[in-house]
Amino acid sequence: MDPQLTSVIVPSAEVAQIEECLAHLVEDTQGNHALLLDKSGQVIASQGDSSRQDVTALGALIAGTFASSREVAKLLREKDFRMLFQQGVRENIFIALIEDQWILCIIFNKGTHIGLVKVLTKKATDELSAVLERVRQQHKTRDDVLGSSFRTSMEDTIDLLFRD
Amino acid sequence: MALINVAAREIHCKIVYYGPGMGGKTSNLQYIHSAVPKEVKGDLLSIATETERTLFFDFLPLDLGKVRGFQTRFHLYTVPGQVLYERTRVAVLNGADGVVFVADSQKHKLEENIKSLKELAQNVTKMNKNFREFPLVLQYNKADLPNRLPAQRLDDFLNPPALGLNWQRYEAVATRGDGVFDTLKAISRLVISRL
Repeated sequence: MDPQLTSVIVPSAEVAQIEECLAHLVEDTQGNHALLLDKSGQVIASQGDSSRQDVTALGALIAGTFASSREVAKLLREKDFRMLFQQGVRENIFIALIEDQWILCIIFNKGTHIGLVKVLTKKATDELSAVLERVRQQHKTRDDVLGSSFRTSMEDTIDLLFRD
Repeated sequence: MALINVAAREIHCKIVYYGPGMGGKTSNLQYIHSAVPKEVKGDLLSIATETERTLFFDFLPLDLGKVRGFQTRFHLYTVPGQVLYERTRVAVLNGADGVVFVADSQKHKLEENIKSLKELAQNVTKMNKNFREFPLVLQYNKADLPNRLPAQRLDDFLNPPALGLNWQRYEAVATRGDGVFDTLKAISRLVISRL
């Protein structure tokens, strides 16, 4: 990923492929929910339990956990930790890093074996990695996607909403 | 970095409030949370110590609604200001599109402000970004206190004309909301201009 790039634009076709891959992962693991985040905590796609209302906060916290673990890794002279596993009484979370830039997260309950989750997450990671590489390679500009008058409209909205 | 999801027609931007401990970063988010319309704000999430000091971050999602067909979301974060949490600040800063540097205007806090701003510059540079071009707005908080330094004096140290950065800066009293929205508007506009 070009570190100077200011925006990541994820085209419709790629979003559809990502969602399909997450849906397979949920189905095959009999998991509850799968999320793909970028490392800043933004949710790119989410599949599974549609009643889940807290996906945004979940994204921020999981990305925070991962970023924190990366700093721990550095103290241990590791580059990063590629996977994290958090075990609860009812639900567990397995988190895997994709290409240093994206985070795949699957939430599953105690009926699913962690070994299966690991294997299937690895498969999903490989698939997503190819799709995300295409996202990285595409060269649409902001104006192609948003239109040139977006900025003015956005500024009007900011002035309207951000006031006492 | 901002994320534009073409299929869902969504835009996400990340703004981080940075600065020395007890400077008023969390107060900024608390005021914004209390003052923006209900349909705009999500829950304010705080990971704090038992004494209400920020341990990891505060997080406030704002949903600005549809702009030209795109659902636009700003995610506001604060970092923990205490010196000991430097690594945590790096973690929260990851992927930020813009930063509000909340300085504490009190005389005896000047050195802490300078140290914190220097640390921010180092951390942004470590993210392979050019700090001189990075979207940043200064807020001189606690402008109501009698022992504060005047804004021009703070400029000499935090925004020196000789450096030519000319960051926008706002005086504020975050606890009662003075200057909070001016700061938020300024950083939002800056981030949008760089999408």
